[in-house]
Amino acid sequence: MHHAFQIADREINVALSRARTGYRLHLGERIVPVDLRTGADGRAWLTLGDAHIEVVVATRGDDVFVHLDGEAHHLRYRHPLDRLAAAAAGHAEDQIRAPMPGSIVSVAVAPGDAVTQGQVLLVMESMKMETTITAPRDGVIATVNYQPGQTFDRDALLLSLEPMETCA
Amino acid sequence: MMTDSRSRLDAVRARIAHWPFSTVLVANRGEIAVRILRTVQALGLKGAVVYHAADRNTPAVHMADAAIEITGPTPVAAYLDGAQIIAAAHACKAGAIHPGYGFLSENGDFCAAVEAAGIRFVGPTPAQIELMGDKVRARNFVAQAGFPVAPSAIEDDDPNTFVERARRLGAPLLIKPSAGGGGKGMRIVRDLALLEAEIARARSEGQRYFGDGRLYVERYVERPRHIEVQVLGDGQGNVVHVFERECSVQRRFQKIVEESPSPALTAAQRRDICETAAGIARAIGYRNAGTVEFIFGQNGEFYFLEMNTRLQVEHPVTEAITGLDLVLEQLCVAAGEPLPYRQSDLHTRGHAIEFRLYAEDPARGYTPTTGPVLVWQPAQGEGIRMDAGIVQGGEVTANFDPMLAKLIVHGTDRANAIAKADRALRETVLLGCKTNIAFLRRLIAHPAFVAGDVHTGFLDAHPEIAAEPPLAADTLERLLAVASLSTRPMRDLADAIPDMHAAMGGWRN
Repeated sequence: MHHAFQIADREINVALSRARTGYRLHLGERIVPVDLRTGADGRAWLTLGDAHIEVVVATRGDDVFVHLDGEAHHLRYRHPLDRLAAAAAGHAEDQIRAPMPGSIVSVAVAPGDAVTQGQVLLVMESMKMETTITAPRDGVIATVNYQPGQTFDRDALLLSLEPMETCA
Repeated sequence: MMTDSRSRLDAVRARIAHWPFSTVLVANRGEIAVRILRTVQALGLKGAVVYHAADRNTPAVHMADAAIEITGPTPVAAYLDGAQIIAAAHACKAGAIHPGYGFLSENGDFCAAVEAAGIRFVGPTPAQIELMGDKVRARNFVAQAGFPVAPSAIEDDDPNTFVERARRLGAPLLIKPSAGGGGKGMRIVRDLALLEAEIARARSEGQRYFGDGRLYVERYVERPRHIEVQVLGDGQGNVVHVFERECSVQRRFQKIVEESPSPALTAAQRRDICETAAGIARAIGYRNAGTVEFIFGQNGEFYFLEMNTRLQVEHPVTEAITGLDLVLEQLCVAAGEPLPYRQSDLHTRGHAIEFRLYAEDPARGYTPTTGPVLVWQPAQGEGIRMDAGIVQGGEVTANFDPMLAKLIVHGTDRANAIAKADRALRETVLLGCKTNIAFLRRLIAHPAFVAGDVHTGFLDAHPEIAAEPPLAADTLERLLAVASLSTRPMRDLADAIPDMHAAMGGWRN
């Protein structure tokens, strides 16, 4: 059974199996004996082949955070079903997401409004600067999810467009 | 003196029974609230803090002798609500309010309201705040006092000819809001065809951030260094400077790294710029700790930029090399004590550098990040100070500025300080929220930084420092191993399936 992790905009397939002591990590053709012993406060010791490496690990949901060799890294576990669903969907162009966390300054459109590509949809504020969000294509506004003054995280769905009537 | 901070603290503590206040309310949050409470409590005074519900689980609220909740339409608005803060001061019988930096620290009306309520404001007089808070008035005052300012066009002088006068200064230009500070609403114009559009945008930002759309335009000094000087005045005629800090490593006009001494200055230039700062503070009879900021050109010329009439984010750099506790000095001045030392008593030792640890992604344009603080293990050791506003188990949100903590290293010289910084940045563990720590390590390894050859546009000129280097193959393998072994569904599945190889006990590589 193959699993996958997303790290630094890449998705990497990986599998894990049980060995007599510890586990085996399957990376493509490569199979490496591994084990992880955890201590207090997130400290852990990774055994990989002959190497023993101290790391700090924390998880939340599908996110795994690892401090390794003086640097923090973030990996996200991808559920096999989610990956299938993502491959089948593909309406990302209808969703206008926040490029960064911030707050809404003003909203120029309402659901049902027809917009043209490049038209200003809303003005957001982040990092003490205003950023204008414009329509990625001609279309009709389906939803407006935030009001002025509200804050949001990166990748929050700010607005959505009605799906294209004819699929290209 | 290489100030002996312990004996100064003990001497002041012996007098606090005679001070006009015994409780200090901190009208701020995050790391600076913790920093101020530390000195307040070390003196034997009571330290109170106001907090918005979003900050309930933060270190300042945990350590304060009293914590009073304030409310607002947004968390930031709560900390800007002067009336609520003064009511909180009355409620906890605070005789003084320390505003920290940001929020109400440079608000003349708030300062006046605090004093009218019979409470000491740990800061300058309302008139001093207002003079220095209006960048145009401040600039004119400094010029008239005989100190250097950059060529500029000021809208208020004649709004009808503002654009024309700005154009005549010639590109490149820097547009600034008259009421601004902290880099908000500033825009560089290199193509004069864009001047009017940029003025319109700067005006809109100034209006929103400061409620004041007035602007001025300055000749932009190319490849400038940002050098500032710490000053202290008691409002009773005594002013000293406490040496310079160089803060040239910036992104979006905001400082990331600050150090002292500046690697750019000769001994004569250091004396000159520091004495200029003290002269400006003396000219207004300054009361409180303050910072006079200068633009320093590649040929050694320097111009007054602005004066910040408050404690700065980067004040620990000065504390490290002088041994002064600047919050202690502020409190003494607020209590009415004269400065007990002269300029010739102040000296520096070694080299200090501060790094601002931000929740942000340098590789994505330094955009802010959010997330839980799952693990927070700050570096420790001799010559290492971490001023943090976060706790493990807390959450980094988009409610406030993304600064998480400040790392201050103090070494025997600059090279020693950089080596200490690299070790401290390696050893600092923060998991759950992307930070700029790895970026800071790349920055201090850059030859130009090592040589001290930086300017305020340095990071824009070297985007490779912000870019994330590709992961080494062995690093990636280790990360995937840790992640696989830490992910429940993967481990459960592996445990559930008896493996032929496991049964045989063999493995291949």
